[in-house]
Amino acid sequence: MNLKEWIFTTDHKRVGILYLIGSIAAFGVAGIMALLMRAELSAIGPTITADPTTYNVWLYAHGAIMILGFQIPALTGFFANYCVPLMIGAKDVAFPRVNALSVWLFYVGVILALLTFFIPDPPDVMWTGYPPYSTITAGNTALYSLTVLILGFASIIGGVNFLTTVAFMRAPGLGWGKLNVFVWCILGAFVMQLIFVPVLGSAVTLISLDKYLGTHFFDPAMGGDVLTYQNLFWFYSHPAVYVIFLPFIGVVFEIIATFARNPVFNYKAAVYGGIGGIVLISGEVWIHHLYVSGMPDWLRIGQMVSTLLISVPVGLLVISLVGTLYKGAISFETPMLYALGVVFLFLIGGLTGIPLAITSLTVNLSETYYVVGHFHYVMAVAGTFAIFGGVYYWFPKMSGRMYNELWGKIGFWITFVGVNIVFWTMMDIGARIGLPRRYYDYAQFPQAADAQHLMTIGAVILGVGFVIALLNWIIGAAKGPKAGDNPWGSPSLEWTTVSPPPHGNWPSPPSVSEEWSPYAHGKR
Amino acid sequence: MLDDKRTVGALLALAAAGPALAEKTIPTAARIIDPAAGWDHLWRDVLIDITVIGIIFALITAYLIWKYRRRPDNQQGSAPRLSAAAAIGWVVIPSFVFMADDFYLAANGWQLWNTFREVPADRLEVQLESGMYSWDYTYPNGVQTQNELKVPAGKPVLLRMTSRDTIHNHYIPDFRVKEDSMPGRITYLWFYPQKPGTHVVTCTEYCGVMHSYMAGQVVVLPPAEYQAWYEAEGAKVKKAAAPAATLSKTPA
Amino acid sequence: MSHGGEAVHHGHGGHDEHEAWGTSVWPFVISFGVLALAVAFMLQFVYHKPFAAVIALGLGIPMILGGVAGWVSEAMGRGEGLSYGAMGWFILAEAMIFMSFFAAYWFMRLDVALVWPPAGTVPLPQVLPLVMTAVLVASSLTIHHAEHLMHAGDKRGFVRWLVVTILLGATFLGMSAYEWTHLIHDGFTIATNAFGTIFFSVTGLHGSHVVVGLAIFVAGLVPALMGNISEGFWRTASLYWHFVDIIWFFVVSQVYYW
Ligand code: HEA
Ligand code: HEA
Ligand code: CUA
Ligand SMILES: [Cu+2]
Repeated sequence: MNLKEWIFTTDHKRVGILYLIGSIAAFGVAGIMALLMRAELSAIGPTITADPTTYNVWLYAHGAIMILGFQIPALTGFFANYCVPLMIGAKDVAFPRVNALSVWLFYVGVILALLTFFIPDPPDVMWTGYPPYSTITAGNTALYSLTVLILGFASIIGGVNFLTTVAFMRAPGLGWGKLNVFVWCILGAFVMQLIFVPVLGSAVTLISLDKYLGTHFFDPAMGGDVLTYQNLFWFYSHPAVYVIFLPFIGVVFEIIATFARNPVFNYKAAVYGGIGGIVLISGEVWIHHLYVSGMPDWLRIGQMVSTLLISVPVGLLVISLVGTLYKGAISFETPMLYALGVVFLFLIGGLTGIPLAITSLTVNLSETYYVVGHFHYVMAVAGTFAIFGGVYYWFPKMSGRMYNELWGKIGFWITFVGVNIVFWTMMDIGARIGLPRRYYDYAQFPQAADAQHLMTIGAVILGVGFVIALLNWIIGAAKGPKAGDNPWGSPSLEWTTVSPPPHGNWPSPPSVSEEWSPYAHGKR
Repeated sequence: MLDDKRTVGALLALAAAGPALAEKTIPTAARIIDPAAGWDHLWRDVLIDITVIGIIFALITAYLIWKYRRRPDNQQGSAPRLSAAAAIGWVVIPSFVFMADDFYLAANGWQLWNTFREVPADRLEVQLESGMYSWDYTYPNGVQTQNELKVPAGKPVLLRMTSRDTIHNHYIPDFRVKEDSMPGRITYLWFYPQKPGTHVVTCTEYCGVMHSYMAGQVVVLPPAEYQAWYEAEGAKVKKAAAPAATLSKTPA
Repeated sequence: MSHGGEAVHHGHGGHDEHEAWGTSVWPFVISFGVLALAVAFMLQFVYHKPFAAVIALGLGIPMILGGVAGWVSEAMGRGEGLSYGAMGWFILAEAMIFMSFFAAYWFMRLDVALVWPPAGTVPLPQVLPLVMTAVLVASSLTIHHAEHLMHAGDKRGFVRWLVVTILLGATFLGMSAYEWTHLIHDGFTIATNAFGTIFFSVTGLHGSHVVVGLAIFVAGLVPALMGNISEGFWRTASLYWHFVDIIWFFVVSQVYYW
């Protein structure tokens, strides 16, 4: 294998795999941070570090890297790159060099994030970076700003690329109504990235301007306002959760349709109602992150209602997912286990968002472990399961080889048990005791000690499951049995080429007929 | 088989609306509505609501997974084609059911929110300035305390809050209230202590290295005892004429 | 398994005769140039090591410039130049950046300020901005006219009006610089108070867009003088210029006359 051909590649599949490698490495690092945090929290008082700042830096790195270095790049970088051109029958993306630029900017962003562990004054501003703390801390806030800026910029240029690709490079005969649900999800995610990332970029730039260049955006003593930052930040970061959600639910759609050997139930409802609805509403709900910061009532009531109304498009998506099982011929290979796991765990995570959306209930729940439990279920668990399931699903396509089915299932079940131990307990102590998040120590909440100890054990269990999956991929890619071009028997276009596909994907571009659809099983 | 689906849909509708019909008993008898009690009540309702929805969806999914598992290896799915009417029905009906539940939740949530915001006129008003890392209270008569808020039982307490450095959040889990305090803005919260006792106050907005140690307590005293303390401290403040106030320090 | 079938058609060609993998070193070079810039920023402003910062800049800027130059020459004529549609998305993103700065401004002014402008603000010039507006609007009209001539096939006329546009843009920048120096001389800087922060950051952000627009024009002027005029390029470039012009109306109305 020629290393130069990989590093300087402009091919969408190799760019995608570079994204995968980078984001899984980021997941490993941020996961290790999680284990360190869990170890620290396993008992009251200092356990593995006596310095709260050390813990705060772990937490900062964990949150920022998991979201910006793992999930968004894995979903809008790896899956979008690997699958979208193959699914629409294109030879490559519209701007292959721009694509290569975006993956290397992503690596630069990750390198910056990793510098956290090597500089004397690491950032300790949490992934939200609220001023005034972020502008007065002795930590290196610039590192935070620059990491976010560069990762955001990488994502924007990827977005322009994919919107152009899907608009102009579909195979002959492949109309908008025949796109894979996953492709629609990517379109929705990138539209949101394009609109909202610039706002995040501005927000983090402003804190660095305030801290290092003497401006006063957030300094009340000079006429600035501390809450501006929070509004700008969440104006992006709420939509960002749907930038994560849409692609991951898109992956789950592909897996479930394939293993149930059924077309997606009520495709149009899922695409126009579900995905369209989410993109439409996502921009006017950010205030639900500021319910306890004294926002005025007139802003609050509208956004509470629209936050609750998100359950309508999301509900349509869930109905389509579950409906796809109806009269199916379901089999349970590892990707399908992960996908079904997502359905159940996302239900828990999504529904526990409902109390948070209600402005009066949040008064007791906000900033507690209940919130941490909510978003780990919906993002860290459902999202990560979808990513792992998707990698298993396209593994034979990417590598031409098969992973080990038994170990795949073992890994899944271990993680499944682990996540529920950890994150259910979080929601419980958050709602019942009110244990606040971002606490290095919790002496004022002795009732939480047992639960914390249990969660530490659970975290080790779930980590073992993830490591099994990683090893399964590495071993499978190196010496798994040959998989064939279409091991799952899916009619979707990516399975019509050889595994792994060559540069250009098909010897000559495919064209599809009237009866074809990516979900027309058994009609070939 | 379409009928099958219709029944499922109807069941769903009922179940989602079920909790919505549960009677409302936010206490109105008392002169003062205690937001904490209202919170507990709404929390229970919402918990039932989302649990029912979750269980319905989970059971249907589990049933479909079990019922339609693949028997012969080459079996294909046999989902019927949706008619246009069914496709629209599967959008409109669930949407209406979900929206009904959403609006029900929003209405109740908003009502409770108003009790969180509308402070009874007969109240004790205390100023709070937070800082890294302490809660500094100032009473109407100039008495100042740090990390300990003494209040009389049976009287609503209003805190007007600001901060001298970073953002903090004054959280009293037992009274179900929290609100940010920040430089440049004034925020408030109120709670209704009814029985003597002590309650944890803790900071729930990341404010710096010692964030997790920024704790104090609310001490609810019998009214007479409170009054005695208040007057004694007030007298000391007067005597000390200088603005440097007594800080009644208590171990947090 | 079969790769064809009835529903999906492929032209016929063997699977083994695939092309070589596409590669380009320039995206890699540019990305690490960006890393060097980020490091330079931290060396200067966080660690106050100007010498090391200059070294990092000296690494980063050539990498970026060289990368862009290499990229352009490699991609020339392969349809990867500026594209009209992509510019539309890009402008959407840009507009959101300006929106963020304005939102910050509105928050301070409408939500928290007791008195506005805050202490320390000096009176802003009232006539100059009007002249600047006139100049910028004129430049928007001249580039539009130039584009019109280009479509009509009048290359000399196009170049002439393009040069006029560039001169007008430069005049605008000159006036902006003049105004800045005077205000700073009067003691009103970006650090004076929140209004100074907003004033200089918003006009500066806009000014940087004027600079970028002018750079695009000048970069295209060289080939244009030699008679090499790409319609797609100029259509995209003038779209960007109109955007810069429209944003200025917001800047003027919000910052100078409110
Ligand atoms: C992928 C990520 C993801 C997703 C999809 C969601 C989805 C949702 N989130 Fe979550 N959220 C986060 C990630 C995510 N969230 C993160 C990271 C944070 C914390 C950030 C931080 O502070 O660090 C957060 C925090 C957060 C808050 C702020 C809490 C606080 O700090 O005080 C709120 C408040 O409203 C909220 C609400 C919701 C809601 C209503 C949804 C909805 O979209 C859920 C919709 C889904 C369902 C409802 C289930 C399926 C639907 C049905 C079965 C139909 C029927 C249902 C009904 C009629 C109710 N979330
Ligand atoms: C996608 C996002 C994501 C994911 C996947 C996770 C995963 C996990 N998270 Fe994370 N978490 C966040 C996003 C995420 N988290 C965010 C945004 C916050 C808030 C941050 C903030 O407050 O600012 C947070 C906060 C947070 C807290 C709150 C701390 C506090 O408030 O004080 C805790 C506490 O237990 C926690 C635990 C965990 C655990 C145990 C996992 C586990 O699931 C992790 C399991 C993974 C592993 C164990 C790694 C296994 C792999 C290897 C070991 C292989 C190594 C290989 C290589 C290096 C190549 N998380
Ligand atoms: Cu004060 Cu956290
Ligand atoms: Cu949100």
